[in-house]
Amino acid sequence: MADQPTSMERLIQGILPENPVYRQLLGLCPTLAVTSGMKAAITMSCAVAFVLLSANVIVSLIRNLLKPHLRIVIFTLTIATFVTIADRILAAYMYQMSKTLGPYVPLIIVNCIILCRCEVCASKQPLFTAVSDAVGQAAGFALALSSIAAVREILGTGMFFEIRVLPASWPDWVIMVLPPGAFLTLGLLLGAVNWMGSLHSKNKQGKEGGEKT
Amino acid sequence: MEPKQPKPPIASTLERLKNRYIVQAWLVLILTLCFGGTLAGVQLTLGPIIETNKLNETIQRVPELILGADQARKMEKQGRSLSVEPLSLGVEKHGRKVFYNVYDAKSNGERIGWVVKASGQGYADKIELLIGLDPPNEKITGLFILEQKETPGLGNKIAADYWRSQFINKNVRTPLVVIRGGVKPANGIDAITGATISSRTVTNIINTAVSDLKEPLSLHAASVSRAKDEP
Amino acid sequence: MNYLLEILLIGIGAALINNFVLHYFVGICPFIGVSRQVVTAFGMGCAVTFVISIAAFLSWTVTTYILVPGAPLSSWIAEFFISAERASRIDLTILSYIVYIFAIASSVQFVEMYVRKFFPPLYQSFGVFLPLITTNCAILFACLLIMGHIVGVDNPEDVWDLGKSLTLAVFGGVGFTIAIVIMAGIREELDFCDIPGPFRGAAITLVVAGILAMAFMGFTGVDSGLKKVLTPSTVEKTINGDHLDHMKNN
Repeated sequence: MADQPTSMERLIQGILPENPVYRQLLGLCPTLAVTSGMKAAITMSCAVAFVLLSANVIVSLIRNLLKPHLRIVIFTLTIATFVTIADRILAAYMYQMSKTLGPYVPLIIVNCIILCRCEVCASKQPLFTAVSDAVGQAAGFALALSSIAAVREILGTGMFFEIRVLPASWPDWVIMVLPPGAFLTLGLLLGAVNWMGSLHSKNKQGKEGGEKT
Repeated sequence: MEPKQPKPPIASTLERLKNRYIVQAWLVLILTLCFGGTLAGVQLTLGPIIETNKLNETIQRVPELILGADQARKMEKQGRSLSVEPLSLGVEKHGRKVFYNVYDAKSNGERIGWVVKASGQGYADKIELLIGLDPPNEKITGLFILEQKETPGLGNKIAADYWRSQFINKNVRTPLVVIRGGVKPANGIDAITGATISSRTVTNIINTAVSDLKEPLSLHAASVSRAKDEP
Repeated sequence: MNYLLEILLIGIGAALINNFVLHYFVGICPFIGVSRQVVTAFGMGCAVTFVISIAAFLSWTVTTYILVPGAPLSSWIAEFFISAERASRIDLTILSYIVYIFAIASSVQFVEMYVRKFFPPLYQSFGVFLPLITTNCAILFACLLIMGHIVGVDNPEDVWDLGKSLTLAVFGGVGFTIAIVIMAGIREELDFCDIPGPFRGAAITLVVAGILAMAFMGFTGVDSGLKKVLTPSTVEKTINGDHLDHMKNN
């Protein structure tokens, strides 16, 4: 294909236009589960970034040796190994955070984002492209998690990164840190991103067609 | 798409079979060995650190549970520390044996208190506590909630300092009782408004643990002092 | 009696109170993707339940007999090479995630072969979704929950046996089926509603799921209430001075 996006384009695309959570609807399990506080969200994004980067690097390095019917096995093996390493590092150096994140760190293994990126990009592209793709997608994931966590934490506890930002008279919307709040926040933010996307494409069409919206 | 591999020259059926399965899986096997080695290395280096973390989670709390937060901080500044011995005491209950994790805290060889780890079913999920007791097992010296998943804003106030401080210096020879407003007896604990069940659960866990461990703790204390006396 | 009570509480907990989809947020991808019609949703729920039970059985067996420190099979093999005392301390739990994901992949393969042989039209209607069950978080999550009750438990009496693990797995799948079928029913009705453009598809599904989650929150405390009613001991009640319990059970 002559029209493959360049490395820079892949990096920027991953942040918002092809955001893994808001646009591709992948990896929703950790998005809903760990976003009750900013700290947990940032830690999870770092873990996913680590696994995504390492898996993409390894898969890109061995891409010429992959047999078609064994590639899923190899992807899974690689991802599972790096997730175990990430989980152990968290348990050793950030024990309390590891307990808060609980079973959601090993769930990165079945996170569709990483498997999808390995399949679509890393197994076909050279090292640098794969790395920039991973960085872009990880940044997009971090952006999505932080946006949801910010809304939930500020409205639900009045704190941001555990520092009080709303006045003490704010009645904490406790529902936001509970499961229903996760679904509602993600649903509403997804609707907002879709709306912004449709406005953006309407503007683009208007400019290209020479018509005013 | 990947460029198609050129087909190997067709020799005997055996060779064709070999080319199909084992040879194609060599990459998987090599990767398995490499990753297995990496994981073994990770286990060897990080395993001990994680074990220490798990242990320290409770042991670090022992000074403040027995001496109170201020005394514990003073001790830490002065560089002194308590010797904490973890024990596992079994109690026979309704035909089953239940094990309690108890930490024996000594300063300069003299016992200054016990810390008991107890748990029970709360409103939403399991509640795990650390209870600090004085040596004769009669007064509570501290309480810490290790794990709870109660309703945020209501039940999870059991972890708040102001509620837990009610338990300090309470005599546990008579079981503690949770009351909701009105006259508070000496062994009474104020319930959290809107979270009576969570408050009751914590009190019940403490009562059960203290009554279960009365005998084993005194037996253990007696056997330790006997061992000290005998040369 | 005590054992049956525990099984009942684990089952109700997994299916209703701590519903896999609406409380633990696992299995969201098929929940949003497959829940357009009740019939397909029910089929997906059954397939997931089937796979979860097989995967839980495999993972419990491997964890208890090979991975845990002091497990029979691994220490027996290690005794050929090193001393028996050191062999009993071999801890293979670092391999648990890899073992679980391959157990799940094999269960999905097995279920796929079974469905293709005995229910060909069902196999056709599933299409690509059957192999995708491998990446369903719910199954790995069930295995992880079971592992949490085997590894690192203080009290050796609290380690889960096969019965409790299978109960958790099967009823977790049942809870997933309940949630996805309810969502499918609601979405079939939503098709006739005038939903604003940006919200069509996944966004409105998530908002509805939020309201469903709120409804399911009403089940909190059912298990501790049931436990209190069905527990046969009176001794603990006297110690704790519960003024409400005047019933004396055997």
